[in-house]
Amino acid sequence: MVSAALAYVSRPLLSLTLERRRALGLFALSLALLLFPLVYDDDATIDSVANALSYATLALGLNVVVGFAGLLDLGYAAFFAIGAYYYGIFTSFQVMPAWSEAWAPLAFLGLVEKMNQGGPDLVHFTLSFWLALPTAAIVSAAFGVCFGAPTLRLRGDYLAIVTLGFGEIVPIVARNMDGVTNGAAGLNGIQAPRLFGHSFGVDSTPYYYVGLGLVALLIFLSSRLRDSRVGRAWMAIREDETAANAMGVNPVRFKLLAFAIGAAFAGMTGVFFVAKLQTATPEMFNFNVSSMLLVMVVLGGMGSVWGVVVGAVLLQLMQTWFLPQVTGWLHDLGELVGSQFLVGIDLVQWTQLFFGIILIGMMLYRRNGLIPATRKAPPLNFAAQHAEVTRGGFLHLDRIPRWEPGEGALDIRGVSVRFGGLVALDSIDINVPAGGVVAVIGPNGSGKSTLFNVITGLVPAHSGSIVFRGHELLGLAPHEVLTRGVARTFQNIRLFPNLTVLENVMVGRHARLRSGAVASVLHTPGNRTEERAAETSVLDLIAMFGNRLTPRIGQVVSGLSYANRRRVEIARALASRPQILLLDEPTAGMNPAETLELAEQIKSLHGMGLTILIIEHKLDVVTTLADTVVVLDHGVKIAEGRPEEIRRNEQVLTAYLGRAARAAIMEADRVA
Amino acid sequence: MTSTDLLLQQVINGLSLGAMYSLLALGFTLVYGIAELINFAHFNVFMVGAMVAMLTLQGFGLVGQETILTGLPLVGTLLAGFAVAMLVCGGIGVGIERVLLRPLRGVKGPAAMITTIGVSYVLFNVVLLTLGSDAKNFPNPLPPIVWHIGGAVLRLREVLIWVIALALMAGLTYFVQYTRLGKAMRATAQDPEAARMMGVEVDRVVMTAFFLGSALAGACGMIFGLYYNLAKVDIGFAAGLRAFTAAVLGGIGNVPGAMLGGVVIGLIEAVSGQTIGTAWTDVIIFGLLVLVLIVRPAGLMGRLAPNKS
Repeated sequence: MVSAALAYVSRPLLSLTLERRRALGLFALSLALLLFPLVYDDDATIDSVANALSYATLALGLNVVVGFAGLLDLGYAAFFAIGAYYYGIFTSFQVMPAWSEAWAPLAFLGLVEKMNQGGPDLVHFTLSFWLALPTAAIVSAAFGVCFGAPTLRLRGDYLAIVTLGFGEIVPIVARNMDGVTNGAAGLNGIQAPRLFGHSFGVDSTPYYYVGLGLVALLIFLSSRLRDSRVGRAWMAIREDETAANAMGVNPVRFKLLAFAIGAAFAGMTGVFFVAKLQTATPEMFNFNVSSMLLVMVVLGGMGSVWGVVVGAVLLQLMQTWFLPQVTGWLHDLGELVGSQFLVGIDLVQWTQLFFGIILIGMMLYRRNGLIPATRKAPPLNFAAQHAEVTRGGFLHLDRIPRWEPGEGALDIRGVSVRFGGLVALDSIDINVPAGGVVAVIGPNGSGKSTLFNVITGLVPAHSGSIVFRGHELLGLAPHEVLTRGVARTFQNIRLFPNLTVLENVMVGRHARLRSGAVASVLHTPGNRTEERAAETSVLDLIAMFGNRLTPRIGQVVSGLSYANRRRVEIARALASRPQILLLDEPTAGMNPAETLELAEQIKSLHGMGLTILIIEHKLDVVTTLADTVVVLDHGVKIAEGRPEEIRRNEQVLTAYLGRAARAAIMEADRVA
Repeated sequence: MTSTDLLLQQVINGLSLGAMYSLLALGFTLVYGIAELINFAHFNVFMVGAMVAMLTLQGFGLVGQETILTGLPLVGTLLAGFAVAMLVCGGIGVGIERVLLRPLRGVKGPAAMITTIGVSYVLFNVVLLTLGSDAKNFPNPLPPIVWHIGGAVLRLREVLIWVIALALMAGLTYFVQYTRLGKAMRATAQDPEAARMMGVEVDRVVMTAFFLGSALAGACGMIFGLYYNLAKVDIGFAAGLRAFTAAVLGGIGNVPGAMLGGVVIGLIEAVSGQTIGTAWTDVIIFGLLVLVLIVRPAGLMGRLAPNKS
């Protein structure tokens, strides 16, 4: 009966598309939140919700740093404190320099006022709340860059401890700099915000609406950033910094951007929080705040915008409603059964214990949080799974622009690389003509991958030069090398495991796109055109592999087959529109049929004018593809020539097979 | 007191602090060397060690500084205090590894580190809820023997701290360098996969690292109590951050480096507290950590564990 009624009511809902249903839900939620204080007029509850909202904004900011960019920041409350003290100092009576006429212009703008407390005239700062919000964002972002800069070269775990230290230092500084911050006692007499001449005072309702506005703004900003070039760059860094760098993402710039934006969110929240409380003490910003925010982000789901909001609200509910409520029940129960222990219990004091338990429990049982950022794409349907594989050469090549002849000549001269005492490459000369295919072969440990690493800037060279289209590549960072038109794949496949096929390949396009954070948030016409064009060309690239990848663009790459991951990596490299493609053992681990297919595909790329430098062990692949073969052994080039010459080269045979085998082969040749 | 005496006194104090930080830093370094993990639980395992040592001494009927013991009873009580604190902490370390961290081994990203933060929180709050937040009077049965070196004062407790810390470090060095399990540990730190293929039981090695590190934290807790005559629920954070700085300063993963780093940090704390002011000690130590990480991330003595990627 009930289910029938429910089905009847929900039928019109189900007929809507997913987006429509989402929009409707969002509308209903907004309406409920907007009407809430009018319907439920209890100041304490509204105050508590307003607090929850400010924690939600903080969690959203931390989510940019931890969830998007993968930088575990344990001292995030520091930026909260900076915003709070910024507003506190410039609206309270703590810092009051002597008045002089130089202050007059500021007084005219309403930022300061002249005051006399019996004695000389003094300056009283009267920064408006509405002006403080954006400026606090800027000030905190500047601090974010300063704190972030020294930590950028550190691996993730060091970053955690350094940020922990910063988070500890800011309250210490606040406590010790009495003159500015009034020390441990804290700032008092902080101005309440005013709007159209009315002070907010101590009524919670206006704060509730400001908080609601901030949360809505930050959800909007976070979502826009996440689905942009900036967000993709952050997630690529989070998943694999080296690969992101090699695909054209400048890790320093984007990590700093994450720090700055996260700090800006916290700074704004600090202003709001302090305006609401009208006091600021060092204890409000200690490690407990940072860790509570971490719990919120972990609980909701790192990287999940709605998740962290839910996490913040749940934790706030737990503290202000659930735990006191359960405590009351336990007391009643204790009185009923006559247990002094139960009567004496106060679960609110257990809050932080529960925080710890939540962290542990989430890591053990639900690492991606209550609302995971990436939801699994639906599995392929039967038809897609059993479709005839289209193979052999690339399809739809007509959709991809051809390369101009003359592009892509690479000249490597006298390049040496040393690791400590080991000479990995010894004065190597290789010339890759434009439009040519050069294969590098050699036994394991001969320096082939090091060669690729030195070309792409991952490993510094000791000496030599690498000139590509007239530009020196040595000394450039990996993302700069990619921007010059050199793209690579990795021997041991380095995709971004938790991103989808489409997102992975889109990261490859990063260096060819321009949109920054502002354009991404505003969805400027330029940004929209650029994103649309990028997606089209990336889909065309993916379509080259027939129906191997296209049905799977929404799937997370860690679930793909080995061969498909190789294909995604090649597509990702091609997405940067390189002039030369460096393939590191592209067919390793593939079966003969797949190897053949890939070889043909590489051949068609070459046919379109792309220059290729390839490391390969399978000699039949090398023979089919390469014009020239270079043989490395122990970091030295021991031979160079056409594939059939190399097959007969004595030194090569010795390096690969040893002297005895070489003699046998030579003997057999002679007899034949 | 002349300024030389003052300096000498601060060196004595600094060496005692350094002995503590060295022991605590060893725990960070052992676990980091083997598991590439910053163990945030270590902060509060140390605090639990201090509490357990205190309860053990109180169990022998010692209260505050009134009861003075000598001879065999003194040695026996101290040994018991150390043994219980070390065993309990070692057990906690093994428990953390076995129950909470082993399921996360091989999981990429910050999951394991977040778990240790959670454990740290749980330990802290369990002690807070059961023993309270007040500073406790840690029983100290040592006779008040004092030597005067010029104007500086050297107390028996300082000598004892140095001797015990040195003995523990010598024992650890011997273990890591010469025993079968110690060699297995070093091999695992270099390359867990290769070690596994050569027959090293990596699970056992990781567990041993957690046991040893945590047991040393327990010993450190006892030493802390004897040195300051107090134990408090929030002692873990400051001491832990300094010890971590010591581990990084010496080169994380490097056992002798952690010992050296601890002594350096102890000396810096004592001297800067004298000259600049204790309110800024945390800022100075932490500034040093950032500086080391920027200028010489491998630390003074270099990391022994290669950077696994």
